[in-house]
Amino acid sequence: MNIKIKQLLEDGRVDGFWAYKTTHGFPFPWLFTRENLDELEPWQCTKARYPILKLLLAEARNHPDKTYGVLLRGCEERGLHELFKWNQLQPEKVVVLGQACSQGLAIECECSKPFPEEIHYGTPVDPVVESRKVKELESMEPEARQQWWLSHFNRCIRCHGCRDICPVCFCTECSLEHNALIPGEKLPPDTSFHLVRAIHMGGRCIDCGLCEEVCPAGIPLRSLYKEVNLLVEDIFGYKPGAADGKSPFSFLGEEMLLPSGPR
Amino acid sequence: MKDFEPRIIAFLCNWCSYAGADLAGVSRFQYPPNIRVIRVMCSGSVSPHHVLHAFQRGADGVLVAGCHIGDCHYLKGNYMTVKRVKFLEGLLQFAGYDSARLRLEWISAAEGIKFAEVVRDFTEKIKQLGPAPSFEAVPERALGA
Repeated sequence: MNIKIKQLLEDGRVDGFWAYKTTHGFPFPWLFTRENLDELEPWQCTKARYPILKLLLAEARNHPDKTYGVLLRGCEERGLHELFKWNQLQPEKVVVLGQACSQGLAIECECSKPFPEEIHYGTPVDPVVESRKVKELESMEPEARQQWWLSHFNRCIRCHGCRDICPVCFCTECSLEHNALIPGEKLPPDTSFHLVRAIHMGGRCIDCGLCEEVCPAGIPLRSLYKEVNLLVEDIFGYKPGAADGKSPFSFLGEEMLLPSGPR
Repeated sequence: MKDFEPRIIAFLCNWCSYAGADLAGVSRFQYPPNIRVIRVMCSGSVSPHHVLHAFQRGADGVLVAGCHIGDCHYLKGNYMTVKRVKFLEGLLQFAGYDSARLRLEWISAAEGIKFAEVVRDFTEKIKQLGPAPSFEAVPERALGA
């Protein structure tokens, strides 16, 4: 890593590079520039996952004229594609170095593609194809499923952690904070809090699983977002995370391609 | 469940469905008084958030009505309505709620009869389904009520 990142910075290809630096014995996201080149460390295969896209996005918003490099995993690259599609970052302003995840991490994350398109570090491992949890939920009776969800939603402490860590939650104003629609003083929050977030994740969630990892109440959010993505795939034939295509909710489209319904 | 009178929120678009409801009124077509109408400028401006909020506040059914495809005052506003409602139905089902409580209809300004029929039919269906299950994560008994 040392050499590739150093090269990019020294050539002036990028103004800064988001990678990791060992802090207190743990890899920690770090912005490397030409000033702190000597702090660069050789790449190592770690299990550390951070919302590095959030850091990149914040940095790019503060310095729109600068070009940034970033070290990405498979999930993070999918997120980057979504940010490009939603016009949050410009492709010509981002340089990507890809790292493949270990098999252990891929299984823990239930990851469908644990490596980016172009791999600079590590070797690709086998993906995990289907989610057992979603299958199990789909086979439940509606009433049981509703009770199951409510039993999880009622632990929510409205910390907004799921939103704050989400790499594709880029809005500057959030409807979850709309006091008239979701009363702010209520705990646990309205069920619509979770369902509205699920709606926003439809055609956008890249299934990185950070939301579920960060949730202090252990709400199985990922199963919910996995399901909304399956819905979008079933109805519109769109799967988020690919370099091409657009979310059906980002444009009006053609009459022919609309889902069936009253006419 | 004989005495159950459902509460139905209807989002009607200003240009077609609201005018259709108006026509039903001036033509003296009878329909059940269970709907509460909210006039919106376009059915495409009804966010899923509003629909979920209606259910959260205890609506037994939500009707979204707009112009027919191709007749939208804003050309393609109702395209978004179809996409959203279709998606929302799936989400409601996965959360364990009956998606039949959400209904999308195209009602033009000339279809006063259709408006009355839709409301009659929808109210009847919701009556059969009974009161909507609560959206509250904490049941009232847990709060000691």
